[in-house]
Amino acid sequence: MKKVLVVDDSLSVARQLEKIIAESGDFTCVGHAKNGAEAIKMNHTENPEIICMDMNMPGMDGLTALRTLSVMDKEVKVVMVTSLGGVGDKFTEALRLGAKNVISKPFEAGDVLRILREL
Amino acid sequence: MAVKFFGQFLIGQGIVSGEALLNAIDLQEKNNLKFGEMAAAMGLVTPAEIQRAHNAQMSKDMKLGDLLVEMGVMTLVQMNDVITRQKSTHLYIGEALVQVGALTNDELQKQLDAFKADQAEYVSNGIELPITSANSQIWEMTADLTYKMITRVLDLRFRPGKCTLATVIPQNFMLAAMDLSGDVEARYLISVSEGLQKSIARAILSETSVDDEPAEVLEDTVMEFVNVVCGNVAAKASQTGIIININPPVTLHPPADGLPIPEGHRALSFPIHIDDGDTMELILLIKE
Repeated sequence: MKKVLVVDDSLSVARQLEKIIAESGDFTCVGHAKNGAEAIKMNHTENPEIICMDMNMPGMDGLTALRTLSVMDKEVKVVMVTSLGGVGDKFTEALRLGAKNVISKPFEAGDVLRILREL
Repeated sequence: MAVKFFGQFLIGQGIVSGEALLNAIDLQEKNNLKFGEMAAAMGLVTPAEIQRAHNAQMSKDMKLGDLLVEMGVMTLVQMNDVITRQKSTHLYIGEALVQVGALTNDELQKQLDAFKADQAEYVSNGIELPITSANSQIWEMTADLTYKMITRVLDLRFRPGKCTLATVIPQNFMLAAMDLSGDVEARYLISVSEGLQKSIARAILSETSVDDEPAEVLEDTVMEFVNVVCGNVAAKASQTGIIININPPVTLHPPADGLPIPEGHRALSFPIHIDDGDTMELILLIKE
């Protein structure tokens, strides 16, 4: 089972993602961080293989955390999950900073799992 | 399911890789000159004149071309020539993907048709506003996308009411709000009853009952709905070159006599009559 860390300030999005991951059969959720700074700490303590991270969060946002993670940990695969996925500049910036893909909100369980399985 | 741009659609379909898309975007950035770069390439302005105009933009809300004309650096005809050259040499992302070898011309046309079909549900329907403003089309699109997301995300049947100018934001069980900045300055608000909050929570959490959920989670689901709508509004606006930044959502609980409209703002109210008899309200607080 691949370990996934969910990073989102929204409790409801974290719940949605945790449910999709738990019911997938091939991924397990190792925790929920509420901002970029917590994500960096939990990446160290939980050692996930995949991070699903929001872009727009109070405190350290997702792109700042992605920039740090791509320097600190070359192994972890980050997928951004955001309502801003359709904004070309944001999408491009995420890929340039090392994100493996960007999932737009609203999302469906099938799309999330397909992207996670492709990593 | 969401508003997408063409490159994102192609990656999602597995047609091109992220690396190929970035190569195409790099090519676009080299090819598609900004106004000042194009004017300089055409020999109409010097770097020093562009710098002078950029400095003047700090205190004047004008486009670079208009400012260069006002400063007497170029004529109106020359400004239009630059814009025409920019348009005629513009490299679209699909063309760039062909040039970097990620797509053939035939495949491009096929994928453009598929993209158009995928995004057809987000083509805007006409909405009438009680005011005219420079950004009327953005507010119409915002209301239209809100209606579409109520159907797609919340699975609620409803009838949109007539948009009016509000003098107060009425009291309700809760409001979720998100500030929009960039080329527009506004606050997006959704006002809901206790019953509608639960309907939203059931849809967002994919649960049949949310009676045991803490108030914090129920409020969060309404904020998340606002986040989804505003993110997609920003995506749709970006397709027309308008930049909208979104900020983390917040909740509000207005007093019995409602919230006043801040000075220098206008409030557009869009009542949304849900089939069960309840009413949700979209309010756009626009800074004029």
